[in-house]
Amino acid sequence: MNDQANVKLRLSNSELWGGVIGLALGGFVIWSGLKLKLGSINDPGSGYVLFYTGILMCVFAGSIIVSAITEGGPTLASRLENVRWSKPLLLIACLVAFSVALEPLGFLLSSMPLMLLLLRLIDPVRWLLAIPIAVLVPMGMWWALKRLLLIQLPSGLFGIG
Amino acid sequence: MDTLVNVAHGFGVALLPVNLLYCFIGVFIGTLVGVLPGIGPISAMSLLLPVTLSGTPESGIIMMAGIYYGSMYGGSTTSILVNIPGEAASVVTCIDGHQMAKQGRAGPALGISAFGSFIAGTFSLVALMLVAPKLASVAIAFGPAEYFSLMVLGLVVLTFLTQGSMPKALLMACIGVVLGLIGLDSITAQPRLTFGRMELIDGIGLVPVVMGLFGVAEVLLNTEQAIKRDIINTKITHLLPTKEDWKASAGPVGRGTILGFFLGILPGGGAVVASFASYALEKRLSKTPERFGHGAIEGVAGPESANNAAAGGAFIPLMTLGIPPNVVMALLLGAFVIHGLQPGPLMITQNPGLFWGIVASMYIGNLMLLVLNLPMIGMWVQLLKLPYNILFPLIILFTILGVYCSSNNVFDVYVMIAFGIIGYFMRKLGYEPAPLVLAFVLGPMMENNLRKSLILSQGDLWTFVQRPISAVCLAFAMALLIAPLLPALRKKRELVALDEGA
Repeated sequence: MNDQANVKLRLSNSELWGGVIGLALGGFVIWSGLKLKLGSINDPGSGYVLFYTGILMCVFAGSIIVSAITEGGPTLASRLENVRWSKPLLLIACLVAFSVALEPLGFLLSSMPLMLLLLRLIDPVRWLLAIPIAVLVPMGMWWALKRLLLIQLPSGLFGIG
Repeated sequence: MDTLVNVAHGFGVALLPVNLLYCFIGVFIGTLVGVLPGIGPISAMSLLLPVTLSGTPESGIIMMAGIYYGSMYGGSTTSILVNIPGEAASVVTCIDGHQMAKQGRAGPALGISAFGSFIAGTFSLVALMLVAPKLASVAIAFGPAEYFSLMVLGLVVLTFLTQGSMPKALLMACIGVVLGLIGLDSITAQPRLTFGRMELIDGIGLVPVVMGLFGVAEVLLNTEQAIKRDIINTKITHLLPTKEDWKASAGPVGRGTILGFFLGILPGGGAVVASFASYALEKRLSKTPERFGHGAIEGVAGPESANNAAAGGAFIPLMTLGIPPNVVMALLLGAFVIHGLQPGPLMITQNPGLFWGIVASMYIGNLMLLVLNLPMIGMWVQLLKLPYNILFPLIILFTILGVYCSSNNVFDVYVMIAFGIIGYFMRKLGYEPAPLVLAFVLGPMMENNLRKSLILSQGDLWTFVQRPISAVCLAFAMALLIAPLLPALRKKRELVALDEGA
């Protein structure tokens, strides 16, 4: 990462964005605390701690924003410099696809393609090795969990697994 | 005398074949994850948390503890041979350990690291045995105000020692508290932040949060760069340090042990802080500080002893007060809770078999680790050659299964993936996950104790200042919060700021 790419009052300042997200979360927590009722100091309600934690969040986020504006911060682009940013993004996409497929397809049918994709996409493992690993490892785990530990894994709409 | 009887009782528990097996599995896995960069004790413990359900509480906790102190041993192997820390507490060992290996002295570096770890581990256990029961008897007098202030201090110390800016670490701690409060309010039973989802009524599970933030996010970060490994390929000989090596290392081992033990006890402290502090201390005390960074054996002996002593010391606040001083101990607390046990001042008297059994198992585990890390070093070196492009997909699959098995609930897998993605972007923006996780565990306890003390004192906030222990804790916390505002202290903080995560 190139920290030299220091920007102050710009939308590309990553520190500024971090602070803004923190401030928004803090605001939401304050609102949630108020909605849950604060109670009194003698008898604090369900929202009491949430409300004050939200205020603290806003204070800390405000401090991050102030320091981002006065001292500057690295740009969003510089955070991704000199890294293979496409690899984690591919991995994230695979995990999201897996989470969508897990319940309808079941553990075995969703984890085998996931393994194959991960083995081929990060730093490609040759097909001859990737296919057996992608098939045998999930099957071995499924067998160990189902037969040895008696843990039921999702079997999906097709009832496989 | 009582202590000896208790230790004998503990060995009776620890030497049961099933507990010996769990202890061995724990230290073996601990060494394994210590050796493998990219997966640390936190990920391994969260992965195996569900497995503890299958046995007795003693077996489960013995295994989890074994993973923790086992990883401290294993981490040094990778630091010395590959110059990549196997886990965060071994970062500092890379500096002189790898230089020694390059000079053909990998054997003595590995040897002194294992012996130093053994000595420190044994000392910390003796101290744990002597200190814990005494502290537990004092802690019975603690009220909600003391507990609340101690937890505040723990969180502030951790945020103070975390890498990056303090407001970021404090913001993370606040988010952790909020996440910990999701679910039913323990006093009024009112649902909070559940968004109408039944899965959130019991709150978010610790396992998916930790596995996501540490396991998945770690893999995502590691895939960004092709990891280059510079493994020392020469045959490793002379594992037993020479007389000169021992002479040079005796002081650092002794000082590292004592320093590490006390830093381990401190809330928010831990093995990482201890290893850095020991390195700095040895460099300062050395008559030839210029040798540090060029293969000084003191730079390996001190930090390695310190991180193991800290691992033992960290059990004291958990066992006696029920307060986890760091993320690893928070996971161990999770293991206790899974078995329906609440560590705290009464645990030693109400459940002596469990407490003394764990302590005795740590003696046995330390002996096992000495065997695993010296005669069997060749096996771990071979393991370092395992390609990461195969290892990372396996870790992802293990984490998915680990999370699913902990609750038999697909929702937790979604939570883990979400936290993995959040954790990745958090680290990209310089936000450390350790304060979030500790606050996530402490949040509900803090809220409970705060509300109880306010109800008991009829809303009098002075209760936190009028009680001496509470006042001291809050004063320390306040001092640490103010410290970064002073330029000189800010510089010092940046020097000791650490990445607790790995």
